[in-house]
Amino acid sequence: MLSWLFSVATFAGIYALLALGINVIWGMGGMINLGMAGFFALGAYASALATGAGALPIPIGLALAAGLAALAGGLLCRLTLRLRGDYLAIVTLGFSELIRLIAANEIWMTNGSDGISGIPGPWRAELSPFQFNMLSCALVTLAVLIVWAMTERLRRSPWGRALRAIRDDDTAAAVAGKPITRFKVQAFALGAAILGLAGAFYAHYTSYIAPDIFRPLITIYIFLALTAGGTGNSTGAVVGAIAVVAVLEGSRFLEGWVSVLGGVEKAALREIVIGVALIAIMQLRPRGLLPETPPGPFLKRKDT
Amino acid sequence: MTDFKNLFAPTRRSVMLGATALLATPAILRAQSAPITFGTLTPLTGVGGTYGPSMRDAAANVFTAVNEAGGLLGQEIDLVSEDTQTNPEAAVRAVRKLIDVDGVSVVIGTWASSITTAVAPLCWENGVMLFTVSGADSITQLPHMGYIARTQPNSVLQIEVAGDFMLRQDSAGMAWIGPQTPFAQSSIDILAGQAEGAGIGMESLIYEADKSTYRSEVDTILRSNPDFIMLGGYAADSTVVLRDIWQAGYEGRIIGPAYAVNPTVLEALPAEVTEGVFTWEGAPDVGSSAYANVQASLGVEEVDPYSAQTYDHANMAVLAAAAAGDASGAAIRDALRSISQGEGDAVSDAIAGLEALAGGGSVNYSGASGPCDFDDIGDITGTQFLFRQISGGSPSDFERV
Repeated sequence: MLSWLFSVATFAGIYALLALGINVIWGMGGMINLGMAGFFALGAYASALATGAGALPIPIGLALAAGLAALAGGLLCRLTLRLRGDYLAIVTLGFSELIRLIAANEIWMTNGSDGISGIPGPWRAELSPFQFNMLSCALVTLAVLIVWAMTERLRRSPWGRALRAIRDDDTAAAVAGKPITRFKVQAFALGAAILGLAGAFYAHYTSYIAPDIFRPLITIYIFLALTAGGTGNSTGAVVGAIAVVAVLEGSRFLEGWVSVLGGVEKAALREIVIGVALIAIMQLRPRGLLPETPPGPFLKRKDT
Repeated sequence: MTDFKNLFAPTRRSVMLGATALLATPAILRAQSAPITFGTLTPLTGVGGTYGPSMRDAAANVFTAVNEAGGLLGQEIDLVSEDTQTNPEAAVRAVRKLIDVDGVSVVIGTWASSITTAVAPLCWENGVMLFTVSGADSITQLPHMGYIARTQPNSVLQIEVAGDFMLRQDSAGMAWIGPQTPFAQSSIDILAGQAEGAGIGMESLIYEADKSTYRSEVDTILRSNPDFIMLGGYAADSTVVLRDIWQAGYEGRIIGPAYAVNPTVLEALPAEVTEGVFTWEGAPDVGSSAYANVQASLGVEEVDPYSAQTYDHANMAVLAAAAAGDASGAAIRDALRSISQGEGDAVSDAIAGLEALAGGGSVNYSGASGPCDFDDIGDITGTQFLFRQISGGSPSDFERV
């Protein structure tokens, strides 16, 4: 049981990293990135290939994953600078399909749709499965804390303020002398780096990646997490990710609770629970569980 | 009162998390009170959702019958079912729960090859036996230490059998068209080898799945004037490819795997489009009493190959545990081949097998999907294949090999 909790916490941590990455791009920067799975895949493949075929240590794999995803994110953002809203969403979705197709067809590099198995994990051979879960959980939690602190710090900084201004009205921000292109590219690259890092953690934790993993389903879960938690709020992103994983995993136990349900009904009910939870949150708290608040000193709170 | 309001905001979140935790409690208690726990991991939702529910039921009915007949090793078998959502990421989370929370010693029924490859390492690391219906060649080549057994013939064997069939039907030019899958390139290589041996031409094309038309791909493949085309995709893309081949005026023959040219596809397309199309599949052993058992327990006339296989998985898991006197994954792994093949009494269901074993005898299980004999790496041997031809929108048996 405990081993499973560590494993769920590790997945929650990976989801939280993804939500934090999307929060920088979409929540703070206002750029819709439906290509999340693409950056996630890029990071996963980069680290898997570097540490597997390349025999490099895992920390270098993680750095490569983040670096490569940042580079791709920066380039994609620079290319799509004039696009916004729906159009940007379509192009980024296309990017993620592109990455998936490369992974499926460049068999010499990625082993095609068979995927890469046996990706090394930290001390995987020496540890028992339980110890490995515990270690992974600790490492991912640490990564979430670092990334959370970093993005929260950025949000409160002048850079974050300028980014918010650009998100809300880029013409006004441009008139105020803010270099819009630079800010957007930086935000996109930073967010993409976090997504790539999450991909690397996923690869080293589960030891297997394949193009099928990076279908849009996971993108939907993360947007759900961020919307539920509170767009634009780093804490909200983490809380939302934990809540989504809690619902996804917790709903597995419905069968024990509602004993009349068989396996098939339970599977359908899980999907319903997730849908209803989203609708309920959007009805009760349209801005998420933890709405974005203008950052200020920690202790002063505005009464509404 | 605003202070109270601020206080309330985080509580809703805790209420939600608390409620989820509450949901968890009864199942945990239940899992601990059941000493023998087996799991099914089938695609209940997603692309594989057509097959997963009956695959699960076929296995579940076996365990129910064994429990009613007195159980296994004097204990009841508890079955836990999880959904792969036909997605490897979700399947990994599901198998974690099966292994870490429910403590299953056997996982039955993974369907898509990428899912089997994703969950397999977790199974062998934790000493859990994995029975699968996936066909990709790479699966049994994993370092699985015997913890994988599959009842689906691997894709090399499937393609070889179909290629032989095409040559037997006097094909003068073969073609293969399909999406990128773990078996796309190996399918092409096998057919090309067979065509070369027969001195005929062979053209191939790998397309991108999920398109709404494949007209240009079809035109490309037809340029080589094949008279027998093999489809390499799944149901959704095969529907479109079949329509486009028909619209292109092709008059030769077509063969596709039965899971791709399935009843849904036949219903979706007009009868003239699918007229004369061949299908083939690793055939359930329709004459066997095991097959009759599955028919009766599922209440259907025709059992799909996957449900026939999960029925066999469940029976073999029970018999192997009984033969070993231990229901752990390692014991079932070690005893599997002692009950699936060899000189023992031929049995086709767990209850008869349990009686024979209790009498001190040995058994050789032959199931609904075939003789269920495994080689050293866990691949099935001796499967029958059934070729069928579509006529008037419905398939009829053509040949059995």
